[in-house]
Amino acid sequence: MNLFRSEEHARRWSRFRAEAAGGLLPLADAMAIMSTPRHRDRLSGRFVSSAAGYAPQFFERVKAVTRNDPFWDPTPR
Amino acid sequence: MADATELDRTYDFVLHAIVADGQAPHFTAIAREFGVSPDDGRRRLHDLMAAGLPNWLQPDTDLIASFAPFNNLPTQYRITVEGQQKWFAQCGLESLAMTWMFPGKTVRVDAPCLDCGEPLRVAVRDGVIENEEPRGIWFYIDIPFREWRANLPFS
Repeated sequence: MNLFRSEEHARRWSRFRAEAAGGLLPLADAMAIMSTPRHRDRLSGRFVSSAAGYAPQFFERVKAVTRNDPFWDPTPR
Repeated sequence: MADATELDRTYDFVLHAIVADGQAPHFTAIAREFGVSPDDGRRRLHDLMAAGLPNWLQPDTDLIASFAPFNNLPTQYRITVEGQQKWFAQCGLESLAMTWMFPGKTVRVDAPCLDCGEPLRVAVRDGVIENEEPRGIWFYIDIPFREWRANLPFS
């Protein structure tokens, strides 16, 4: 999970894989993914016991931000 | 086996300790905090690290290696708050989540671009990106989302 100067820099990175191009996101989208209670509420004092309940909202956010890109599908195969 | 309250309290202690010190506590510090024996502190640490969160120990040790969003070993994601650079983020994505650890403060992420090595700088406050230098920074991961949990240190 790395940051790059631009999409072009990410695509020309020596470890970039075209078949994993779905893993490219603009910075604002990455910030949106990390802004649900799953990441916001870590200092809540009850994070571990609440963790399972955070998943649906997080997955919905990921789905919305990535426009249902299969790369971001959380369902195990 | 720890109950939910104990896990919550241990988690909270570890996370606040890293926020304050920039380093993860040893299990003896957990023991001191909760007034239990060192062995019980160690057990609490291992119970917490087995709770299924993106945190892990240095292999074959009782030492915290990574505790999201922080990394206890240096990474290329240096975090600065109020002029103090004493934290490292677990990864590029978690470097953005660092904002939630320092409410009301600007969190600066400094990292090199892995392609060209040039410095990148992102400033985030309460989840809002205040600045990025240069403009147009992108994020990339080559591991599909469904496989992250099985590949945490590589994700």
